[in-house]
Amino acid sequence: MTDIGNIALWIALLIGLWGSAVAFAAGRSRRADLALSAERSMFAVWGLLALASAALMKALLAHDFSIEYVAAYTSRNLPVFYTWSAFYAGQKGSLLFWAIVLATFSAAAVLMNRGRYRELMPYVTAVLLVIITFFVAVMVFASNPFEKLGFLPQDGRGLNPQLQNPGMVIHPPMLYLGYISIAVPFAFAVAALVSGKLDTGWLQAIRRWTIMSWLFLSVGVVLGMWWAYVELGWGGYWAWDPVENASLMPWLTMTAFLHSVMIQEKRGMLKKWNLGLIIGSFLLSIFGTFITRSGVISSVHSFAQSNVGWFFLGFLVLAGVASFALLAYRWPVLAAEARLESMVSREAAFLFNNLIFLVITFSVFWGTLFPVLSEAVRGTKVTVGPPFFNQVNIPLGLLLLFLTGVGPLIAWRQASTANLRRQFLWPVAGMLVTGALLAVLRMSDVWAIAAFALAVFVTVTVAQEFVRGTLARHRQYGEGWLLAVVRLVGRNRRRYGGYVVHLGMVMLFVGFAGMAFKSDTEVTLKPGQTTEVRSPYGHVYRFTHQGISQYEQLNRFVSAASLDVYRDGKYIGVMKSEKRQHMDSMGQPTFEPSTEVAIRSDVREDLYIIFAGSVQGTEEAVYRITINPLVWWVWYGGMVLALGGLISMWPTGRAPTPVKRRADQAGYVARVEA
Amino acid sequence: MWRVSKRSALAALAAIVALTAPAAAQAPPAPRAPSSRLPAAEMAVSPAVSLRPGGQAPAADTSRGRLSAPQMAGRSRAPVVARTDDSLVKAIEQQLRCTCGCNLDVYTCRTTDFTCATSPAMHRVLLARLDSGMTSAQVIAAFQQQYGESVMMAPPKHGFNWAAYFMPFVGLFIGLGIVAAVMRGWFRVRPRQPLEGEAPAEAGAAPTASDDEMQRLKRELERFEA
Repeated sequence: MTDIGNIALWIALLIGLWGSAVAFAAGRSRRADLALSAERSMFAVWGLLALASAALMKALLAHDFSIEYVAAYTSRNLPVFYTWSAFYAGQKGSLLFWAIVLATFSAAAVLMNRGRYRELMPYVTAVLLVIITFFVAVMVFASNPFEKLGFLPQDGRGLNPQLQNPGMVIHPPMLYLGYISIAVPFAFAVAALVSGKLDTGWLQAIRRWTIMSWLFLSVGVVLGMWWAYVELGWGGYWAWDPVENASLMPWLTMTAFLHSVMIQEKRGMLKKWNLGLIIGSFLLSIFGTFITRSGVISSVHSFAQSNVGWFFLGFLVLAGVASFALLAYRWPVLAAEARLESMVSREAAFLFNNLIFLVITFSVFWGTLFPVLSEAVRGTKVTVGPPFFNQVNIPLGLLLLFLTGVGPLIAWRQASTANLRRQFLWPVAGMLVTGALLAVLRMSDVWAIAAFALAVFVTVTVAQEFVRGTLARHRQYGEGWLLAVVRLVGRNRRRYGGYVVHLGMVMLFVGFAGMAFKSDTEVTLKPGQTTEVRSPYGHVYRFTHQGISQYEQLNRFVSAASLDVYRDGKYIGVMKSEKRQHMDSMGQPTFEPSTEVAIRSDVREDLYIIFAGSVQGTEEAVYRITINPLVWWVWYGGMVLALGGLISMWPTGRAPTPVKRRADQAGYVARVEA
Repeated sequence: MWRVSKRSALAALAAIVALTAPAAAQAPPAPRAPSSRLPAAEMAVSPAVSLRPGGQAPAADTSRGRLSAPQMAGRSRAPVVARTDDSLVKAIEQQLRCTCGCNLDVYTCRTTDFTCATSPAMHRVLLARLDSGMTSAQVIAAFQQQYGESVMMAPPKHGFNWAAYFMPFVGLFIGLGIVAAVMRGWFRVRPRQPLEGEAPAEAGAAPTASDDEMQRLKRELERFEA
């Protein structure tokens, strides 16, 4: 299998080079035969990468420890479930995973657009093949997943215990899918720039791709937060680690694009801006890969340091220079087709919303790179951790939350005073009442008060949109309330899907604000001993230490410390936190012991308990008991966000007739005055 | 730490969102003996994998008080004393980065990464410095002197480091300036008149509404407002 995989990579490299060249030639000469050859090259590369992936997967499942990658990331007693995740757990495998997913997306993009966008597609094919070929070249020349060891070990090292978590089986692929799928919109943007076909054709072609990329990134980021929360055991879900930041930045720019593209579609404005956002999003996805793999910036998530990072830096620089040079070249023909009529308009609101997204992206980028800059300028290393990012990004985030509520309420072109009064009365009232109430109740964290008040503001704006649209349908067509809501959403999926996304964002912000009231307590308990902790809601939790049990389980030896938990005197269950010492198939310990957190979650607060260790080998246990308010809102907010994204991108089927469209959009049309 | 007022405020918020139903409380079980063990099912050894061939596995049961395999339960811990959990100690530790390379602050590292020997050592040094009469600022300064600025979780606010804090907001103002300039250009260059083929711009009108659509819109609005 090693040879097959190696040969497949080499042939893919050669065909990729051929296909890239021939696709560019097809674009310039408009020769159909060359375009067809490029398309076939794409499919051939996909087939070869699929073959290489199958070869690696077979080697992983067959425990072929003659391959260095297999020996480094699996062992004989690794559950099959996690053997799959070993495919992308290490640098070399993840490069192959990236390449096969990109090839799959690329082949799908070519297939779906056969016979359409004839002037764009050769360049789209060329750009995608260049990116795929780059990844294949990195594997072939610097980080080959089929590299052989000079000997055959009896067993492999096994997978890092922290990666042996269901979240890690789903989270990295989701994030990769998000990163990788940005390449398709990027290819269309570059194709539009190269070909000069800068009408809305390329935007129509990438509409679903961009939402899909955004959706994958969103789900990947939230799943990453969940994994960090349940597996890393530090009591939070976002540490502003460089690799976390790297996943956030393209999400921010893609979100900005999803807003600003509406202005281009409706008004023919912001063409340069939108091209810049797509290019920037792609470059940020490569930047994230560079950070993860170069070792330039210290991160707990980094792969082993290697020279692969420099390949990515070179590619990043080349792609950036080429893309922005093209944008500069086409700058004169990218003038807006319409004018901004008022500062009080949805266009202006979206423009400010985009500005804030970009500033947050910049602040994250700046904070991530500042240690490198400081060392270069002053020769002094500094650390840029959560205190910095929170200080800078909380105000910006709240401003963004405010604009989340404002944008949908203001009319396109120009809002009248009556419109503003009608739209903002209830949301502003809700916001002020909430803020005042929390202040009267002496909540001391000002940022949290602002977050909760703005959350109410945005929620009321969304509710108002749904209520008015539903009422309009109900009155006009006599539909029942439920049917009216379903049709309102179903017939205006992008709009109402977007509102659902806003609700998801509100829930996420509520969750983030709750962490302002996090509390930690360390305690040592002998079996039978009890401790009490008061929660931010005033509940009194009583914990009684049961003792520590030790037993074998699967590929690990478990030491489990258990607590009986009572809330306000009422028994609510047993919570068990574990220390896991993973073993290889020879019964030898591998890796350091890892910790499994005990979590009990409800809408108000999470009980988060860590068994820190035993006191000198006895059943006396040290615990860290953390109470995290409102964390539930983060996970369910993520689900609502994903649901909104799905609604927005769900296909509408055949295009409706104009008459039917008007009927379908009655709820929307009736609101146009608003 | 959390005050009574915060509790009230959070309780009020919970009422606002109307999602404060308590998690279903389980019926209290029969009181368990303090030294009771986990259910047998949880202690079962997977028959598929033997961790120690040849029956070398440590006994699953443990006698009260001592673990049968203490080396499997991670690093041995000292009992927590009041000073360890002191809020001042926590506050200082949360500003200091553990130098083991984990990127966590000292408090989070020593209460999370139980294989790290660095953060417990820094914790002990911190306690000793506080015990010697140093203020929290002096303790932090001493750590900075010992390890350099990188021991702080955020760049200390002086000199070039101010750039870290200012630049995002400088970016915001530059962005605002650019947006304002672009908007002004749009207002100045393009006269306020309808574009070719476009209906006269009325406040709130649909961007490309035809006469028929405008009539329909009017009818619908009348019904909507009725």
